[in-house]
This record gives sequence, C-alpha cells and structure tokens, in this order.
Amino acid sequence: MTASLEKGVRVLKEVIDAPIASYFNSCVHCGLCAEACLFYTETGNPKYTPIHKLEPMRRLYEQEYTLLGRLKKTVGLSKPVTDAELGEWQELVYNSCTLCGRCSAVCPVGNDVVYMVRKFREGMSASGNAPEGIKGAANRTITIGSPMGVKLPAVKAQMKHVEKDFGIPIPMDVEGAEYMVMLSSMEIMNFPEYLGAIAKIMQHVGKTWTLCSTAFEATNAGMQIGNSDLARVIVSRIVEGAEKLKVKTVISPECGHAYTALRWEGANLVGRPFTFKVQHIVEVLGEFQELGLLKTEGFEKVRLTFHDPCQLARRGGVIQPQRNLLNMVAKNFVEMPDAGYMNWCCGGGGGASAIEEGEALRLEAFKVKKSQFETVKPDRVVTACANCRIVLEEGLEHYQMDLPVVGLTEMVADHLVAKGA
Amino acid sequence: MNEMQLLTWVRGPGLNLAVGIFVLGVLWRLFEIYSLGRKKDLSAPRALPGASGWRTIFRRTLPAEGMLKKAPVTYIAGAIFHIGLAIVVFLFAPHIKLIQSLFGISWPALPSQFVDLITIVTLVALLVLLADRIMNPVKRFLSTFEDWFTWTLTFLPVLTGWLAVRHLLLPYTTMLALHILCVELLLVFLPFTKLFHAFTVFGSRWFIGAINGHKGVAV
Amino acid sequence: MTITDDKEFKLALASLPVERQRQIAVAFCRRVLDLSHDARVKSALESAGRADITEAELQLAAHAAHAARVDSFAQCGSDASWTAQSGHFVAKAAQACVRIAVPGESIAWDAAMQARLARTCQTVAEGLGTENTEAREQYRILETFLQR
Repeated sequence: MTASLEKGVRVLKEVIDAPIASYFNSCVHCGLCAEACLFYTETGNPKYTPIHKLEPMRRLYEQEYTLLGRLKKTVGLSKPVTDAELGEWQELVYNSCTLCGRCSAVCPVGNDVVYMVRKFREGMSASGNAPEGIKGAANRTITIGSPMGVKLPAVKAQMKHVEKDFGIPIPMDVEGAEYMVMLSSMEIMNFPEYLGAIAKIMQHVGKTWTLCSTAFEATNAGMQIGNSDLARVIVSRIVEGAEKLKVKTVISPECGHAYTALRWEGANLVGRPFTFKVQHIVEVLGEFQELGLLKTEGFEKVRLTFHDPCQLARRGGVIQPQRNLLNMVAKNFVEMPDAGYMNWCCGGGGGASAIEEGEALRLEAFKVKKSQFETVKPDRVVTACANCRIVLEEGLEHYQMDLPVVGLTEMVADHLVAKGA
Repeated sequence: MNEMQLLTWVRGPGLNLAVGIFVLGVLWRLFEIYSLGRKKDLSAPRALPGASGWRTIFRRTLPAEGMLKKAPVTYIAGAIFHIGLAIVVFLFAPHIKLIQSLFGISWPALPSQFVDLITIVTLVALLVLLADRIMNPVKRFLSTFEDWFTWTLTFLPVLTGWLAVRHLLLPYTTMLALHILCVELLLVFLPFTKLFHAFTVFGSRWFIGAINGHKGVAV
Repeated sequence: MTITDDKEFKLALASLPVERQRQIAVAFCRRVLDLSHDARVKSALESAGRADITEAELQLAAHAAHAARVDSFAQCGSDASWTAQSGHFVAKAAQACVRIAVPGESIAWDAAMQARLARTCQTVAEGLGTENTEAREQYRILETFLQR
C-alpha cells in the first residue's frame, strides 16, 4: 500500500457509520437509482449507476466491518481496494456526480446514496484521487484563502463598483449588524449585480448588514473535493467572523454547495453548534416577504420558469419560498415538469464544472434540462445559484437555445419600490 | 435415505438447524450493522411536521414522483411479488397451522383456491423480474452471482410449495420435503445476502428519513 | 459642460437618444477593447459602431457578444484569472452596445459600468490595486461627445 492509499483507506474506515452499513446491506440491485441520475438517463451508460459509484467503498466496508468479509479476507477470497481502482473510480465519483441527491430520493429501500458518495470523496481525496480541477481549488483555499484565489482587494473593487452603480454604500466589518452577508467567488467575479441587489434590498427593508473582511468567501471547496479538514478551515473562518462581529444571522449566497457546507455540515465540522442562524438568501427574502417588508411594483410579463438548485431545494429544504417570491414579481410563472423537490440537476454542481475533462459528459447530461425547457417553453429562466446560472447558460449556448438566465435576488431587487419616491 | 426419512429430517433437525442459524444470523447481523452508530448532528434542525424517519418507512413503499413511468416493471412486478409472497406465506392454512403449533397464535386463512391463484401470480412476477434483470442494462450490469443465487433461493420455495399442494412432478412426500428444505436454505442464507434487506429496509428508511427530516425535507 | 461625478454622468447619458447612446457606448468599449482577445467582441463592436445598422444586424451582433460572454465565465473552483475576467466584462459591455434598448434603460450607462469593471479586473490582475482612472476618462469622452 502506498502512503496515500493507506491514508485513503483509513479515512474511509473512519467515515463508515451505521447508516452506511445499513444502506450497503439493503441494496438489492434494483437499478432505480440509475433511472433518477441524469448522467445515466442521458447517456445510457450503466457505469454511471449511482450505487455502482460506491463499489470500492462497499468492498472495503465488507472486508473491514463484517464477519464474513473479514473471514473471506483472511483466506484470500476478497479483492482488495487498490490505488489503480480508486483512480479508475475518479470519473464516477466526481465527473459524473454533482451530489444532487436524486438517487437518494428514489431508492425504495431507503439508501441515501448521495450521503455515501459525499463520504467516499473523503477517502478519494485523502488517497490523492481527486480531479486536478478541484485539487487546485482546494490548494488555493489553503494558500490564498479562497478556492478561486479571490482576495480582499478584489472584493473591495467589486464593492466600490457596486456602490457607484447602485448609489448605495456597502458596509464592511460593522459590529452588531443583524446580517452578515457571504459571497461566493462566482458572484464576486461574474455577478457583481448580486451584491448591488442585496444592498438595495437591505436598504429597502431597513435591516442592518455587513460584509466581513476575513470571511467573505462562502464557496467551500472542501465540500466538493470531500476533504473535511479543508471544509472546516473555511467554516471556522466564517464562524470566527460572525462571532467577532456579533451578527444574528449569516446569509449564504446564491450558491448551492456553500449553503449545504455552512448550514448542514458546518456545526459538525467545527464540533459545536453555531451561536448564530444560517439562512440562504432565498430564505431571508422569503421571510421578508412574509413579514410584509418587501414593497414591490410592476410584474415581469414574460413567461418565466424556475430551476431549483439541488442543494437549496432537494438537499436543503428550501422549496416554496422561491415560488412565493416569484409570484410576487411575475404574472406568468410556470413550473417545469418535475419542478421542486424532484427537479433535475444542471449537471455542474459539486465541483463538476471545475473538471475540464468532464465537460463533454456534462453537456450530454444537460439534455434533460434542455427537454424540460422545451416542454415548458419559457422566455426566461430564473434560478438562485451562481453556478447553476453559468452551467445553464453554457448548456443553452451549446444547444443553440436562446434563453436568458437570471438570478432571483436581482429580479426581486429590480421590482422594489424606491423609498421616498 | 427414502422420502419419509428426508421429510422427518427436514421437519426435525433440519428445521432446528435452519431456524437456529437464521435467528442467530439475524441477531448478529443487526448488531454488526447498527452497532457502528452515528455521530450526532450538531446543526440547528429545521422543523417540518411529518418529516421523520417513521414517515419514510411507509412513504418509500410507494414510487418517488415521476419514477413509475421510468421503471414500471421493477415497481409493478416487485410489488406483486412482495405482496403475493406475504399472502402465500401468512394467509395459507397449512402455514398458519405451522405457526400456531410453534407460537400458539393463529388467524383466519384465505380460501386455498385463492392462494393457489396468488401463488401462480407470484411465480410469474418472479419470472418477469428475472427476465428484467437479464434484459435491463443497468440490472444486468449490477448483477452478481449473489443476485441470481438469491433469486433462486426465493423462487424455489414458492415453486416447490405450489407443486406439493398440487401434487405435481414428484410424490407428495418428496415434494413436501423438498419444499421445506428450500425454505430452510432460504432461512440459512437470508441474513448473509441481500435478502437481509427484509430487516435492514426499516433501518435504512428510518435513517434517510431522519437525516433529511432534520433539514426539513420530507422524504 | 464639465462632468465631475457619476450623478451628472448618469443623467447626461440618460438624456441622450438611443442611437447616440449606442455611439458613446461603443466609445467606452473601444477604450477597453484591448483587454479582450475574443474576435466576436470586436466584430460586435464594429457593427454597433455603424450608424446605419439594421435591427437584424444588431441581433447577429448580440448573438456574437452573448456567446463571447458565456464562453468567458470564470468556472466555479477554477483559478481566478482576473485578466480573463477582464475580457468577460468587455464582452458584457459589448452586449450593452448592441442591445435593443427598453424605454427608461440606459445602455450607455450599462456599457460604461461594464467597461469600468473590465478595467478594474485588469488593474487587479496587474497588482496595481483597484484604483484606476477609467471613470474620469469616460467623463472626458462624454464631454467631447456632447459638444458634437
């Protein structure tokens, strides 16, 4: 065993728990998980069957944690997990899985396959078998502090730009503010309008908010690569920042995996419950709407549909607020088939869009989104995740579909009544 | 060994052995799996009434939204097989008599002709599932020796039981002995193969329901 | 007139008719054009710069600029290249130039902002910080333009 394979095996053994053992022992090879996974349904290749993506982990579980498995190992009847095999599995565990969770939603015996893939990635990354694209993001997180290498000066540049464009000041490091707003690198780089929208909305509802100079980055590369130590580094920074500034709520931006990492895995990574609330921006806006704080005017008249980011809706439990918000500013909102909990993944989450070698596969998998759009025929697509936005635009561009994609927060901000007008 | 000796053996020592291995096997395997435990979830829960492990135990029996049309054979033949097997095992008079002699409890049986019909339907469902396992690319890809073996272990008791009741193929005593032997083989291998899902399905569904219920997602 | 701040700048731009807005938008873009290496952006700007451009030609140019923008997104998790990102915002500025304007919308202001973003990305990439003179240069361009 090489040093890193040994590390990988050790990590895998540590993450296997009763749920995983129960799941492996319940699988009856019915193949339904494949029918839910866009990487299988759009390619027809059975190797993308979700439970198959876990085969090395299953064997390891059997060999280490079952009596029969251990007996088989002693008499040399079991196939050990090798570095080469993990290398082979890299494509299955990363390129063809976005941690979207549809597999878990359909398994008749109750197997949480996505939970297992997330744990398997821990072993894959510890053994050095994660894709180059995501490894880079992980390294940059350690050395620079941001998976994409976005540093504070860049954030300040965007802040200044937004202040000019929207005419609203952007607060930073304000102690005692009610909300601490996180950004994802994607927004800082690609969608500075998001920050402007936040500023507009906060001013409109009269809530105090702030950015944090030591913790502006929400993107969690550790989540994607499957390295809890790394994920912990990012979350710890956020916890420190939030506690130093004594904020009530930390807002996770329009980024799917950042929400999962902070809201659901965060406390477990730092080993203690948070002293502050964590909400996705869509949840915050939904709350503002329910409290009657959002005064809007005008309606989008074009035909709109909503793409549910997997980590927000199916995996995160935020399914209705985005619909309430859309109905507040749009007259012609129509649902795509399978909308809501069972919506199809854009194909680019979980680090997948950073893997160059996986692009062809992603574009093939995109056919399912294409067919959803072809059925509902919208004039515009709304979503609430910066990565989904880009992946959708790239897919649409590839298939020559003329369909703009916009962010929900920006859309809501656009319809706010100007105060004092 | 003649057929009477075989029958006596499977009813006596064979049964004791098989049930013994079954019970000990089930207990051991349950322990082996669930003693691994799981870490407490420190994230703040999102309350959603009705999202829980218990709900999922029942909800997962039904297909997920939009899935029935994607794999109708798996769902329909699978359902017919499971329900048919349950009816044949628990609502057939001779079986109820056996349970009564072992545990002292009993309940009304279904008419034998009805059970006969259900048995045929169950056998057909099993054959359809076998064919699908061979023809469906995903199932074919996933299937190992264990899948074919456990299918056989499940099919034979139903087949031999039906042949015995109908007095077909072999003399009744032999057929009955074979039937009981097939049941015993099923019992012996159940805890150590994928057939153990009969027990772990409750745990798995509970876990996935609880883990997602914590996030306010009813699965 | 002299323009000293963004309030005046924005007002002056908004008061221009669409055709004039398009012309000055192109002028703003030309200043940052060298930050993009995408031929589609150049061709879109060239089309937009022609006074006799038809709606069909605008559509074609819009498609080209759109493709250039989509192709130049920074991918989630990739190494942030502010140089490349600069090109992305040039594409967005070009898109503003060839957009069919909606009443009340100022394509010239949009182009100006995107061009400034492109410049900021460049200065960030070169380690020169976030201060640059793009805004002031844009004021100069507008002043000269208004005199014509």
